[in-house]
Amino acid sequence: MNNFFSKLAELFSTPEYIDSLLHGFLLTMQISYFALLIGLILGTIIALIDTAKPSKWLVLPKFICRVYVGVIRGTPMALQLFIMFFVIFAIKGFPSIIIAIVAFGLNSAAYMAEVIRGGILSVDTGQTEAGQALGLSGFTIFTKIVAPQAIKNIIPALGNEIITVIKETAIVSMVGMYDLNMAAKDIGSGQNMASYIVPMFVAALFYLATIYLITFIVKQIEKSLRKSDLRVEK
Amino acid sequence: MENKNTDLKIKGLRKTFGKNKVLNGIDFELTEGERVVILGPSGSGKSTFLRCINWMEEPTAGKIIFDGEEVTEKNIERLRRNIGMVFQHFNLFSNMTVMENLVLAPVKLKLMKRKEAEKRAMELLRHIGLPSKALSYPSSLSGGQKQRVAIIRAMMLSPEVLLFDEPTSALDPESIGDVLSLIRELADHGMTIMIVTHEMSFAKEIATRVVFIDKGRIIEEGTPEEFFSNPKTERVREFLKKVL
Repeated sequence: MNNFFSKLAELFSTPEYIDSLLHGFLLTMQISYFALLIGLILGTIIALIDTAKPSKWLVLPKFICRVYVGVIRGTPMALQLFIMFFVIFAIKGFPSIIIAIVAFGLNSAAYMAEVIRGGILSVDTGQTEAGQALGLSGFTIFTKIVAPQAIKNIIPALGNEIITVIKETAIVSMVGMYDLNMAAKDIGSGQNMASYIVPMFVAALFYLATIYLITFIVKQIEKSLRKSDLRVEK
Repeated sequence: MENKNTDLKIKGLRKTFGKNKVLNGIDFELTEGERVVILGPSGSGKSTFLRCINWMEEPTAGKIIFDGEEVTEKNIERLRRNIGMVFQHFNLFSNMTVMENLVLAPVKLKLMKRKEAEKRAMELLRHIGLPSKALSYPSSLSGGQKQRVAIIRAMMLSPEVLLFDEPTSALDPESIGDVLSLIRELADHGMTIMIVTHEMSFAKEIATRVVFIDKGRIIEEGTPEEFFSNPKTERVREFLKKVL
């Protein structure tokens, strides 16, 4: 135990180690942030196509969306990352952070699409019908009635997806990227501290703290969106 | 109440869901000031008939002609703002307050300025005794309150016709009375009404015409006096024996 604390002290008193951890953490957050942004935008588009009223113009797009979601969810993330690195973007000097962002973004889009699709379908069809009966356009019905209710329903699942992506990005260390996970391994290696337990423990704390913070924020958003469900008289 | 010479004609209306033939050729005409009650056993297609009129369900075949113009996918929104609909399950927009529910359509359809719409909404809310609920969300209203708000939401557009799809079927006995008296009041003001209901005594009282549907066809129609005391068909006699 004494050893543990002395190692802990060593880690926090060595600027290079702290620097490595922070750099790793920054990369982890950068990949997660942009990947989630791509995932949200692309996932929304896929979900909208998927839940749109069938028409001859949408037969092909709907089919493509189904296949896309099926393939992405049916293959391992690590394999998708490898394919991006060693097949699609096998270009010398191409920035690996962009490849990682694209890989995680495309992956997350498939999961987000399913979450958003579920959210849209969870809104009672009576809500849409009431809008139609009042002569409102499909656009107004979606933006004013369906989307706000769907968003409220998908916030918890969306929070879950954010957390999943942040943790999943740890596999970029498999293609040699210096993220938080890799930083822990590097600091613990023979030429540095020569002990893995402390850096890995600290890296775990970084992940944990981040995810706790996100969970807290998501809970707050959920709470503020639930106000129309509360049976409170004004 | 506006006087716009309502004129609704339905010819050869058919509706199938997959292999299930729900409506098998319905011919029907509605003129202004009529109050048509649609009766029939469950599964007879009466709700589907009502829902086809404003294209909540797209008819499989047949024509709907409203004010001299055939209804198609293109002009459906114009038709809908002239034909209000009240649903069994109220369908108030649950993400909006009562006030927002009331003003959304007239403002979005540019029929009223927001201020004007809010003023009108407040008048109607006062009329049904719920002005204090203007800023409440639907989840805090009782069933009867929700349905009365749903009715005045439809009235915000001053429709020519109001369709009621079993408006009291999801309510407790006490609320039923409140909702029925609001419908009765609209009727007294000359509103053109079509209503699917199981409230026989209300049907008898309010109807100017009763239409009986079975297996997707109109089997019998007539004044409530004729229909209830002197039915022409065996099917209706059998139905009335069970429900009265």
